[in-house]
Amino acid sequence: MSKLTFSIGGVHPRDCKPAKDKAIELLPLPETMYMSMAQHLGAPAKPIVAVGDKVKTGQVIAESAGFISAMVHSPASGTVKAINPMPDIAGRMVPHIIIDVEGDEWVEGVDTGEDIVSEIPQDSLAMLERIKACGVVGLGGATFPTHIKLNPAPGSPKAEALLINGSECEPFLTSDYRLMLERPKRIIIGAAIMQQILGGPKCSICIEDNKPEAVTSMRNALAQLGYPDMEVVRLKKKYPQGSEKQLIQAVMRREVGSGALPISVGAVVQNVTTAYAVYEAVQKNKPLISNIMTVTGDCLPVEAQHNYEFRIGMPLSYIAEYAGGVPKAAAKIVSGGPMMGKAIANLDAASVKGSSSLLYLKHKTTKRLVEQACIRCGHCADACPMGLEPFLLNRLYKAGNRLDELEKHAVQDCIECGCCLYSCPAGIPLLDNIRIAKQQVMSAMRARAAAAKASAEANAASETKAEAKKQ
Amino acid sequence: MADSYIVSGNPHWHAPVSTRKIMLDVIIALSPAVIVSFLFYGWSEIFVMLESIAFCVLTEWAITKFLMKKPSTIGDLSAVVTGILLAMTLPADMPWWIVLIGALVSIGVAKMTFGGIGQNIFNPAIVGRVFLLISFPAQMTTWPAPNGFIKNVDAFSGATLLQQVQLLGADKAEALVNFGTLFENIGGSAGEISALALLVGWIYLLCRKVVKPWITISIFATVAIIAGIFHSVDPMTYTGPIFNLLTGGIILGSCFMANDYVTSPMNDWGGVIYGFGIGFILMMIRYFGSYPEGMAFAILIMNMTVPLINRAFHQRKYGRK
Repeated sequence: MSKLTFSIGGVHPRDCKPAKDKAIELLPLPETMYMSMAQHLGAPAKPIVAVGDKVKTGQVIAESAGFISAMVHSPASGTVKAINPMPDIAGRMVPHIIIDVEGDEWVEGVDTGEDIVSEIPQDSLAMLERIKACGVVGLGGATFPTHIKLNPAPGSPKAEALLINGSECEPFLTSDYRLMLERPKRIIIGAAIMQQILGGPKCSICIEDNKPEAVTSMRNALAQLGYPDMEVVRLKKKYPQGSEKQLIQAVMRREVGSGALPISVGAVVQNVTTAYAVYEAVQKNKPLISNIMTVTGDCLPVEAQHNYEFRIGMPLSYIAEYAGGVPKAAAKIVSGGPMMGKAIANLDAASVKGSSSLLYLKHKTTKRLVEQACIRCGHCADACPMGLEPFLLNRLYKAGNRLDELEKHAVQDCIECGCCLYSCPAGIPLLDNIRIAKQQVMSAMRARAAAAKASAEANAASETKAEAKKQ
Repeated sequence: MADSYIVSGNPHWHAPVSTRKIMLDVIIALSPAVIVSFLFYGWSEIFVMLESIAFCVLTEWAITKFLMKKPSTIGDLSAVVTGILLAMTLPADMPWWIVLIGALVSIGVAKMTFGGIGQNIFNPAIVGRVFLLISFPAQMTTWPAPNGFIKNVDAFSGATLLQQVQLLGADKAEALVNFGTLFENIGGSAGEISALALLVGWIYLLCRKVVKPWITISIFATVAIIAGIFHSVDPMTYTGPIFNLLTGGIILGSCFMANDYVTSPMNDWGGVIYGFGIGFILMMIRYFGSYPEGMAFAILIMNMTVPLINRAFHQRKYGRK
């Protein structure tokens, strides 16, 4: 048993991963695919194809439109049918490129072979370019463009540790686990590539101890590849271990300051699936057009649970139909895990780079408790991994107009992991309220920062004017 | 998609906890001591217990229905817990109408006036007990001998061990405490008869993670240290640590009342300070006050400081000094 875990808060949700023994299956292509232009954090991508264009699998169809943005590639070969706004899983209208699928003919220069390339190129800049050109984003949930994270701003501290996050601390999700079991070498090569780009920090592949098979699989693969300065670390199971700040604290015993980036304490965190995508991009020149998705839930029999390798852009309803349809008992469909996933309002929405699951939950499992009075048990404060006091934040929010106090009690540090609401015996919608309070406080902070910047600029301008007058 | 599905924010499931389950755990934890009190005091104690629970629940139901006009909150079982605790602090031969007054004050005044569960400043059962102690001093301090289903040949009615201190002096009273005191006390409030049964219940609450141990430990440690110092200076006047830890309401109060969620500090270190305050006030009342026992007063006084303690003590936050 490992003792290594983060020290503040955390909860132990029921450990259920019913799809863990299901090998990854390949999904066939549907007739039509829909590529969202907003499937990464940052500015939506800009389409560079026109209606009627022929496209090949892996061809760039939209370019990044800003510093924080990412390329989008065609998931199949065919014809661009339309470029239209379409509702995403939450029902928000997002521009999509709609492709009539005709086949799976790849663009030139992509190595589609299955052989494993373990020789790592020497040119870090060229590798970084490849990662950018292949549209790789963080697949642990945030979908932050990977090339930016691997290329810290000038002046930031040197990366001392690269943490490869294989903790998959959310119940039900098994896509990272299956990848670690079935394709461990490619993950490790991807990690080694990132290690080299970052200038050779120590690399730790972090796995929770409820997945001993994954630990063994990754250790064996690492032993065969024999990369130096790389280890597989076992962590004690606790949610939300996979959260960047918590993982850094668990492994490095360092804490990232409020509003700061992990690199400020010398850490870079990447998910195992991202490492896999980096391998595919650098070693195979294969853009990010597929990912692994778990179809699971407590209203599905084990034989109906699946881990699929899907092409990004497949409609979620297509994947659900292929897996046998939405079960009758499902009351809520979640994209992601039961703790931090997003409820799906529109199952016809397209899958995106960050899609990791279709989770069907029964009414009994997902229904909320009837809200009662707070009994001041403090369970929410014990559970909060950021050390916040959700009962207090909730009270301040409900009192109204208490933004100063909310900021003083660090509502902006909330990582929205759901531990507070999960553990509240009175069923108070703590996170719902805290999320709103956090948005209010953060917009007030942004407005203040903008005002401070404007007044500093005005001062500087008047000083230059005064200087000019003097002369 | 013809069917409709729930859409709401994360998390999408809930830990198997509820206020009702917590209160049920407290009731389970209290049951060993309650059963022991039934065995020693017999039917009269069973009646006091049933009356107290019934009056507390009825009071809460009537107030929510007729005064607050809100959905009833008796389903959360907190009124049952108050009823049990109130009965445990009373002598076993209490007339029903005094129990009724206690329940009305506990629930009606100490709890519902402040807005019901979670809003009260003072522990309801203790407010009820103190109200009765001041209003009916004779009935509240004459204790029946424990002669229920189990006959205790050595039992005598009248004075508790703490009262013996004032009657006989510290050294003679202390001689009455022996190993058996841990299992069955001599006379007193019904629920305090067995320290061991109470501690078993407390350990159950700790194992179920319903309460944390810090407040209770802090009270015990403070009492032991203060009694240790005074006793070593003058053993003829001041009773020692063991005597003070095993007598009166200290175990019931520390394990089930002082650490009540609503009326104790949220923070662990705040709880330690609060526990120290209770232990200190308790010992000052026992040594220098006119009452032989001061647990109830000590808790009520420290209840008042909780909002201040909550202001001063906060969680350690991630990534902040």
